[in-house]
Amino acid sequence: MSEKTEIQVDEKMVREIASLARLDLSQDEIEIFVAQFKDILDYVSILDEVDTESVPPAYLFSANKSVIREDEIEPSVPTDEFIANAPQSKDDSVVIPRVHIEQ
Amino acid sequence: MELHELSIQQAHELLSRREISSEELTRAFLARIQRLDPRVKSYVTVSDELALEQARAADQRIRAGESVTPLTGIPYSAKDSLSTRGVRTTCSSKILENYKPFYDCTAIKKLKSTNSVLLGKTNMDEFGMGSSTENSGFFTTHNPWNFDYVPGGSSGGSAASVAAGLAPFSLGEDTGGSVRMPAAFCGVTGLKTTYGRVSRYGLLPLVSSFDTIGPMARSVYDVALVLEAIAGHDPKDSTSRGEMPQLYSESLKKTEDLRGLRIGIPREYFVEGLDSEVDAALQTAIKRIEAFGAEAVEVSLPHTPYAIPVYYLILFAEASSNLAKYDGVRFGLSERNVDNLLELYLKTREKGFGAETKRRIMLGTFALSAGYYDAYYLKAQKVRTLIRQDFQQAFENCDALITPVAPTTAFRIGEKITNPLDMYLSDVHVVAVNLAGIPSLSVPCGISNGLPIGMQIMGPHLSEEMLLRIGHMYQSETDWHTKHPPCWND
Repeated sequence: MSEKTEIQVDEKMVREIASLARLDLSQDEIEIFVAQFKDILDYVSILDEVDTESVPPAYLFSANKSVIREDEIEPSVPTDEFIANAPQSKDDSVVIPRVHIEQ
Repeated sequence: MELHELSIQQAHELLSRREISSEELTRAFLARIQRLDPRVKSYVTVSDELALEQARAADQRIRAGESVTPLTGIPYSAKDSLSTRGVRTTCSSKILENYKPFYDCTAIKKLKSTNSVLLGKTNMDEFGMGSSTENSGFFTTHNPWNFDYVPGGSSGGSAASVAAGLAPFSLGEDTGGSVRMPAAFCGVTGLKTTYGRVSRYGLLPLVSSFDTIGPMARSVYDVALVLEAIAGHDPKDSTSRGEMPQLYSESLKKTEDLRGLRIGIPREYFVEGLDSEVDAALQTAIKRIEAFGAEAVEVSLPHTPYAIPVYYLILFAEASSNLAKYDGVRFGLSERNVDNLLELYLKTREKGFGAETKRRIMLGTFALSAGYYDAYYLKAQKVRTLIRQDFQQAFENCDALITPVAPTTAFRIGEKITNPLDMYLSDVHVVAVNLAGIPSLSVPCGISNGLPIGMQIMGPHLSEEMLLRIGHMYQSETDWHTKHPPCWND
């Protein structure tokens, strides 16, 4: 857990996370997040007290085992209903802006 | 008696005897919503036309003498994170403001199949992220007991709609107290179901390993009726439990005492920070339950102080993954005045998500990012194992646990919204249940300064039948659940 003590919560770090999270944060938001990140990460560091050396992670705790159902063909949703929520569509396809970014 | 005052059971009897029609009942609720909800603000969408259609279909079914269930023709509200075909489903987020699902979630589908009547969709903290509904992207719901106070969250709209007589019952969703806490704050009965007891298919996810759909109503008996209708295995949700649901309401009718039950009182839940009136109400309630023949014993859940950080770390991580799909491509808000796809993502998400949602996406992205995964997410999942083991050990010594639902009664609107950490700490009594996946019932057990107090009854996996029996016995000799807020007669 030693790496946690080295965490530098600053504008640069918050900007990097925002970029990974695909959020175009304003300067105001970034400044608020820097302060709140520090508080919250400081608070959750209470977990360092707990010895988990030989404890397995919980992940899935339900009594269920992995379930695989029969591969039976069922009617699916008509394409027009599926596509009705798309912001922009053409010939049963979803339209997006171009992907390539000019350098 | 006014129509909005009827319990599910009473309304069912009148419908069966054809003394009232479902259309009449539905119109009464729609009129009341129109009159009172501008002040309570529990509904995001009122589906009046569809409701009347469904009510007429229910009336036909009753007239034809077809198989009628206790919920046939009964109106209800549903949290806006449950997909409803053709009815706007927003999760109280601007990013889904105009989203209309093309399918019903399984719980709604089951209610539809018995001709229950959906009145509309209720307000919540955006995507379930909050404990007050102040994080709704649209507006804050008011506590029907005092409009200056929060209804709790995140299913605050559901709880307020039931408490104010704007729906006989509601379907809520509980990720970390989101059914129990608003139920307690609004003085209604709410059940957080065992993880997997009710299908999650069609529920817009917050934390996939915590989320549970559960009923909220004005009595344990009514909650039992709703649970019977929505519980069960669903091939569309691989985490739904295969065990057959019980006839919970039948079992309540047979319950005469609680002899032989051991009730654990976890000492870590009655510590500093617990309001003295909440504490006193709980002590009185526990004595009541002992009077039915149950035995109260002190137990310990030693890892309780770690429940909140574990809960939030896992929530941040899973929520940031679950919310990655809101990108402006296939549905929802889409900022199209952009040069390329990356800008579409960035601008849509910046505009569509509220402050708390962004904060949690950011913290989750951080907790899952390279170099930090082991220290945060993995560590939290390990401590989660210890918290689950606490409950397993406690249930070796007792059948159920009783605690407060929240350390205080409802807080004022605005009181905690500027300090996210303070808001997180109000969840101290409710989140461990979701870490363990166990069921828990919230029952009104007192009133302090005009605001309700809630008792939480937790049990092992799939112990809903026992929890409902305890709650029902309690309600058979107390009247907290029959008390109503001042706006009840408006």
